[in-house]
Amino acid sequence: MSEPENAKVKRRDLIRKGALATGLLGVGGTAALLATRAGKDRYVWQLDPEKCIQCGNCATKCVLRPSAVKVVHAFALCGYCDLCFGYFPPHFEPDSAIEEPAAESQLCPTQAINRKWVEGPHFEYTIDEDLCIGCGKCVKGCGNFGNGSLFLQTRHNRCVNCNECAIAIACPAQAWRRVPAGHPYLLKGEDRQT
Amino acid sequence: MATPAERQKSNQLGPEFQYDLTELRKVDPGLVHYEQSARVATGMQEPRGIAVAADGRVLVAGDTLVRAFDGAGKAVAEFVAPRPPQAIAVGPGGTIFVAAKDRVETFDAAGKRLAAWEPLGEKAYLTSIAAGEKDVFAADAGGRCVLRYDPSGRVVTRIAGKVDEKGAGGFLIPSPYFDVALGPDAALWIVNPGMRRVECYTYDGQFERAWGKASPRIEGFCGCCNPVHIALMADGSLVTSEKGLARVKVYRPSGMLASVVAPPSAFAEGTAGLDLAVDAAGRILVLDPRERAVRMFVRKKA
Ligand code: SF4
Ligand code: SF4
Ligand code: SF4
Repeated sequence: MSEPENAKVKRRDLIRKGALATGLLGVGGTAALLATRAGKDRYVWQLDPEKCIQCGNCATKCVLRPSAVKVVHAFALCGYCDLCFGYFPPHFEPDSAIEEPAAESQLCPTQAINRKWVEGPHFEYTIDEDLCIGCGKCVKGCGNFGNGSLFLQTRHNRCVNCNECAIAIACPAQAWRRVPAGHPYLLKGEDRQT
Repeated sequence: MATPAERQKSNQLGPEFQYDLTELRKVDPGLVHYEQSARVATGMQEPRGIAVAADGRVLVAGDTLVRAFDGAGKAVAEFVAPRPPQAIAVGPGGTIFVAAKDRVETFDAAGKRLAAWEPLGEKAYLTSIAAGEKDVFAADAGGRCVLRYDPSGRVVTRIAGKVDEKGAGGFLIPSPYFDVALGPDAALWIVNPGMRRVECYTYDGQFERAWGKASPRIEGFCGCCNPVHIALMADGSLVTSEKGLARVKVYRPSGMLASVVAPPSAFAEGTAGLDLAVDAAGRILVLDPRERAVRMFVRKKA
C-alpha cells in the first residue's frame, strides 16, 4: 500500500495531453486562417464562458441554422468520468459500467456527444459539431456535477461575423464581445489567453 | 439579469432542451430528521475548512486565516495562516493542523505557529486533514493518496487505495475533492469520489471495506464524483455532503442511510464543497461556502 500512482493514470494523462494538443491545433489553425482572412487588426465575435448562463439563446438567435455556436471541450479540465453528467441526464441510474448507452440515456437531445472508452473507468467525450445546436444543456450538467469542462463558443469556421451579432443583442448575461481575429476563442482553464 | 423564468420564455427551445433538477431536489420530509438551529457568518470571502476543538471551539479556515468561534457562534480569536488554507483539523491535545496546497502547518491552541512540514512538491494538492492521538492524515488529491504523518511531521506511509496486481484501482479524483476522517476504533475513512463510495482502512493503509452506490436517489451518491466531504459521529456513523445535488446525510457505519440532515432545497443551486464537522453535543456543522456561514443542524425533537 505504498504505491502513490498507478500505470492507468499515467496513460490517461498522456491521452489527455494528446487530446488537448489536438483540440488546440484545431483552434490555432482556425485562428491563423481568420487572422489572414480578416486582416491582423480585425475583430470577431466571441462569448465568454465565464459569463454565460446557458440561457438557450445561443441556439435560437444566431442568424445561421443550426447556430454557429457549439459546445467545445477543455480536455485538460475533464475528469474523464464514467458517469459524466454532461453526457447522462441527472436522473440517470447506473446499473453497471455502460459502454454504449441508448439514446434515451443521453442528456443531449441531438446526441451530439460521443463517448469512447479509454481504460478502466475512464471515458473520453467528443462533440459532433454537425449535430450540436449550441443549446448549452450539457454545459449545465457538466458545470453542475463536474468540472465545467464543456462550454459554448462560436466556431469561426461557421460564424459569418455579423456587424451586430444577433445573439450578443439577446444575451441576458452580456457574455459577448469582440476579440482579436488572431485569438478568436475565449477558452477555459490553462488554455485561456485573454 | 433576466430571471430563470424570463430566460426560459425567451429561448424558444422545446422542453427536451431544458435542464431541470426540480424533481431530484425533492426529498421525503419524513427522512429529514434534522433542522437548522443556528447560522454563524464566518466573515470570510472563501471559507474552506471547518473543525471542532476538544474545548468546543469551532475553527474555520479560509482566505488567509483561521477564525475561532465559541459554541454560541461568537468569534473569539483568529490567526493568520501564511498560505491559503485548504483544510483544518485539531488534534486531541489541541494542536491545530492546517493543510495548505502542498504542506501541513501546525499551530498551538492560541494560534502560535509551531512548524511547517516538508513541502510535498508541485503536484500535491491537499484537500483534507484529520488528526488522531499520534497520527495525522492528509488527503493529497494531486498525488491521489493519503499521507500518514507521525507527530514530528515525517511521512510514515502513503496510502494509494485498493490497487490490484495490475495497478488498476486506487483513488479516482476527477475534481478537487478528496476527504479523509477518523472514526472510533482506529478506523480511517477515505472518500473514493470517482467510485461514489467511502472506504475504510487501517492506519497502515490496509483496505477493510467500502460502501456507497452511484445513484441520484437519496440513499446514493449522485453525479460523477461524490461525496465531497465526510465527518464522523461519536457512534461511528458518517455524515456526508455532496455537490451537484447539494445534500447532507447521515449513514450508519454499515452504509445504510439513517437520516437526511439537509435536503437540496436547503442550499442555493450550484452550492459545492460543504465541509463538515460534528461537535461533542452531536450538532452537525456544515460550512456553506455560498452563504459564507457555518450552519448548525440538530436532531428534530420527536
Ligand atoms: S445568449 Fe449569452 S447567456 Fe445565453 S447561452 Fe449564449 S452566451 Fe450564454
Ligand atoms: S446538449 Fe446542446 S450544447 Fe450540448 S452537445 Fe447537445 S446540442 Fe450541443
Ligand atoms: S456573429 Fe452572426 S453568425 Fe456569428 S454567432 Fe453571432 S449571429 Fe451567429
